[in-house]
Amino acid sequence: MRTWQDLVTASLIGTERAAVPAVLLPVAPGRADDPDAPRPDAPRPADPAAFLLDQAALLAAARRGGRRAERAEPLPAAEPDPVPAVSRAAGRRLARMLGGEQSDLLPEWLAAVTARGRRVPAHLLPALLQHARRGVTADAGLRRLAAEAGGPRARWLAGLNPEWAFVLSYGPASEDAWRLGDIARRRGYLATLRAADPGGARDLVAASWDAAGPDERVMFLYALAAGLSLDDEPLLEAALDDHHAWVRKAAADLLAALPGSALSGRMAERARHRLHRQRGLDGDGPDGDGLLVSPPGECDAAMRRDGITPPGPGSPLAARAALLLDLLARTPLRTWTERFGLTPAEIAGLDAGDWSPVLQAGWARAAIAQSRYDRGAGEWMAALIERPLRHGLAEHGLSNHGLSNHGLSSRSAAAAEVLGQLARRAAPVLGAPGALPEPRPDDPPFLGDAVRVLRFRYQMLKELEDDDRAA
Amino acid sequence: MAESWDRARVLALAPDASSQRAAQSLTSGRSWPAAGAGPGSLWGECRGSGSAPYRTVVDLTGPAYRCSCPSRKFPCKHALALLLRWADGTVAEDAGEPPDWAAGWLAGRAGRTSRAAAGPAGEPKDQKTAARRAEQRETRVASGLTELDRWLCDQVRQGLATSQQAGYRHWDDIAARMVDAQAGGLAERLRDLAAVPRSGPGWDARLLEEYALLRLLAVAYGRRASLPAALRETVRSRIGFSLRQADVLAGGEPVRDHWQVLARRDVEQDRVRARRTWLRGRQSGRPALVLSFAPAGASLDNSLTPGTDADADLVFYPGAVPLRAIVRARHGTAGGRPPDGGSIAGLLAGYAAALAADPWLDTWPALLRVRPARAQGQAVSDLAGDALPLHPEAGVCWTLLALSGGHPVTVAGEWTPRGLWPLTAWDEDGRAVPL
Repeated sequence: MRTWQDLVTASLIGTERAAVPAVLLPVAPGRADDPDAPRPDAPRPADPAAFLLDQAALLAAARRGGRRAERAEPLPAAEPDPVPAVSRAAGRRLARMLGGEQSDLLPEWLAAVTARGRRVPAHLLPALLQHARRGVTADAGLRRLAAEAGGPRARWLAGLNPEWAFVLSYGPASEDAWRLGDIARRRGYLATLRAADPGGARDLVAASWDAAGPDERVMFLYALAAGLSLDDEPLLEAALDDHHAWVRKAAADLLAALPGSALSGRMAERARHRLHRQRGLDGDGPDGDGLLVSPPGECDAAMRRDGITPPGPGSPLAARAALLLDLLARTPLRTWTERFGLTPAEIAGLDAGDWSPVLQAGWARAAIAQSRYDRGAGEWMAALIERPLRHGLAEHGLSNHGLSNHGLSSRSAAAAEVLGQLARRAAPVLGAPGALPEPRPDDPPFLGDAVRVLRFRYQMLKELEDDDRAA
Repeated sequence: MAESWDRARVLALAPDASSQRAAQSLTSGRSWPAAGAGPGSLWGECRGSGSAPYRTVVDLTGPAYRCSCPSRKFPCKHALALLLRWADGTVAEDAGEPPDWAAGWLAGRAGRTSRAAAGPAGEPKDQKTAARRAEQRETRVASGLTELDRWLCDQVRQGLATSQQAGYRHWDDIAARMVDAQAGGLAERLRDLAAVPRSGPGWDARLLEEYALLRLLAVAYGRRASLPAALRETVRSRIGFSLRQADVLAGGEPVRDHWQVLARRDVEQDRVRARRTWLRGRQSGRPALVLSFAPAGASLDNSLTPGTDADADLVFYPGAVPLRAIVRARHGTAGGRPPDGGSIAGLLAGYAAALAADPWLDTWPALLRVRPARAQGQAVSDLAGDALPLHPEAGVCWTLLALSGGHPVTVAGEWTPRGLWPLTAWDEDGRAVPL
């Protein structure tokens, strides 16, 4: 529409300097004798500026009203996803988690969604992908889970937004991904292979080990963590002598959690005699039933090889506590049930005086690590969560006095941390209504936090189960 | 006089604890060389670190605040301190008329809120006074519009090219004069124009369109006596004459329908939040717009949720294209079936027909069956292959993209001369998702 552009140009320059172009005014067909239609004989304002504005008003309305549709290329459509979305209730929960409520439980939620053959509702994908992108690189797990639970629609979106390109690296991986891909794609390939052919994955790792750098070796070990068995032990034992400390550490962590491994046997041997059951410490009643603790004094080369970290500078007592904690965290929990002939709940209830917090923390870490391969660890987690809720923390020795005087400060913060981890790893059924007592008003806030985490997990997984039932 | 507040009520307005502390340290008389209180308002000059004092005005009815200080906190410590002094009874109540710098802002607010609330505030004492006031207002508006017309012609005479260097003041000044002339609707439009020269390519054409349509409004008001009644109402409402809700309810026929709540959009203007809710009659197909207002921070009316149906009586404001309506009575709510999206050709035809009756109409409800597309920018295209651009300021609408996956979806939004602003889409289960 040239005449409109002429008007715009004239208005930019100003009617002081530019002539007002004569414009062909639009008259709608069939409206020529309509009294409301623009009349060519309408008095023309004397001021050229007013005249220009009057013409522009007519043309503006005409341009807006006469606007035609344009042409545009539709985006290629995403492939259909046969997988049904989760229910609305579950979708609302995802929105809450993306909004910050218990958002660290997203990996568990996403894994449960995928495991149940469901997917994330499409409209929440942008927020989910944005959240996964913001996560630190260490959160590769979250990105993979988001990509899996997002399905083809997430891949389609990732094709439109370079920020979400990570989604594309978690698709079905080919051997090219192994040969040519970056560490994330190699990991994807290895994870897929491990799920389908555990021995094949192990052989591939063994064949690729020497050429791999330390980061990649750690990635190999974490990939083997899925479906870990005693067949993997020789490879892991060899890795205990690796040149790089963090490779050794990863191997030692896995072996400590693997039931029946030689390393876990060595740990049990070291730890067994550090705890002694003592009856009637303060009398004859059951309240006097306790544990006598003799913490290790030094960290020898064999302990270091098995992954125990030598304590840093500090008081001798603090060093011994740190060593004991690390040792307990790597010792099979069945060592204790067998040694004392008691249930986990009974053992967790034994009083060890000022050493109790160290024992609780060590057992909790062991339970978290071993829960992946040993069902018995679940009972320990439940016992370690319930204990402070039913009997309070103070009598249990988690308070700050005692050892803190010897430099072991902020045990309470450690207890909070450990309890938080337990609540995230323990069986969600602990969060079922009535399964745990309500925290008391004078309990430290982290107890209430732990209960809230468990209840949230219970509800979020129940929602997904309800989806299954409805389907 | 508004009822007096206690300190707790004042401190509750503070955005954070540090503002509370800062305000309490500014309540001594030394800090306030001048301060006064009028009916429902406070003003004062607060000595700061610089040579010129900060000028603070508070409208107690909002409450709303204005201060010349550069603080981003809202309300700032000066407004809070002034309120505290007033709560303590240390602000002179009979300080006479507010100074000009306060009076202008207060008058503008009064105009806006009376339009916004359309409530019974300031009930005229008797018919005669009312008639005299109305006449005065018409005279003021008429002279204000003459001034506006002169200003518009001046812009075009000197050339719009200069306005790219002009600051916000350029439009704020003429807007303030429209506030003085009691033409608040024009003032709002003029203030919004300040952003046009920085709105990217085509700004010159957009500014010319707006100026031209404003002059059209001025000319139309001048000829108001000869305009059809409905068009006259449209002209008056765009200028800023507000109808009281009670008068609208008394004068209009209720329209009962199952009103589908299609979309809503919240905008903030000068510390007042406005919510536009778009409805569509299931039986009549008629569009309707329900407006609600709240001061910043307060929550907006939530009774009409997109994706639901309201069985209700609406009463429409008079106008050449009656869109704005009031919910007079609700008979029930139902989870609505998703609406049927139309074609782009149908949307453009409907908008053209509406423009023929109201050339100032620049926001028109859209309900389309479209899929995402790409032209110069984001676009949507319908089954016939017609396409429309999305509004450039709507941003990349990822939720819409995710929801559609390139397949057709039903989208509700606002059609404007700059493009479609998508607001709601329906997923494959028929659930409304806000965009």
